[in-house]
Amino acid sequence: MTTLTRPGRRAASAVVLVIGGGALAAATWASGDHGLAVGLVGFYLATAGAAYWWAGGRGDVAAIMRAGGDERQRGMDRDATALTGLAMSVAAIAGAVIEVARTGSPGDFGVMCAVGGTAYVVSISVIRLRR
Amino acid sequence: MKNRVRSLRTANGMSQGDLGSSLGVSRQTINSIENERYLPSLPLAFAIARHFDAPIEEIFTMDEEETQ
Repeated sequence: MTTLTRPGRRAASAVVLVIGGGALAAATWASGDHGLAVGLVGFYLATAGAAYWWAGGRGDVAAIMRAGGDERQRGMDRDATALTGLAMSVAAIAGAVIEVARTGSPGDFGVMCAVGGTAYVVSISVIRLRR
Repeated sequence: MKNRVRSLRTANGMSQGDLGSSLGVSRQTINSIENERYLPSLPLAFAIARHFDAPIEEIFTMDEEETQ
């Protein structure tokens, strides 16, 4: 473990936005909605530009956006990631319950629950070996 | 956990940014430590102690209720 600030990469968040947005735009294009696909490209490029600009700052959020920062900032990122996972898990479980009540099958929510549960068990199994 | 980081820093005429740069952490982290919102890791606490050339227990002290 290091306490020192990791510089990270200024483009880290922008690259994620470009790749994710590009994939979404490509899928939208493939579905036949070319206008929306072009709009998504513009939106995500603008968002990536804003993220790149923000990541050049000196604050906590900028450091986290660079996937860098010191021990406190990395801890904030870890806690936020855990809370995000918790929120998504609750949403997936609620969705699965509602889908079962509506259709008798959890549908895609069931897959999300299975992925989340498996990821948690595997994570615990691996992380405990390191601590 | 209480600490004397702020008083030691000001006694040395340093800004939070200066101390952060010396220790390799952000100014915000120094601010959080001084305001006792963030408890530094053991390596960082030792680095702070080394920086001020003081024993770690003279900089960081446990609250009474924490020791019980």
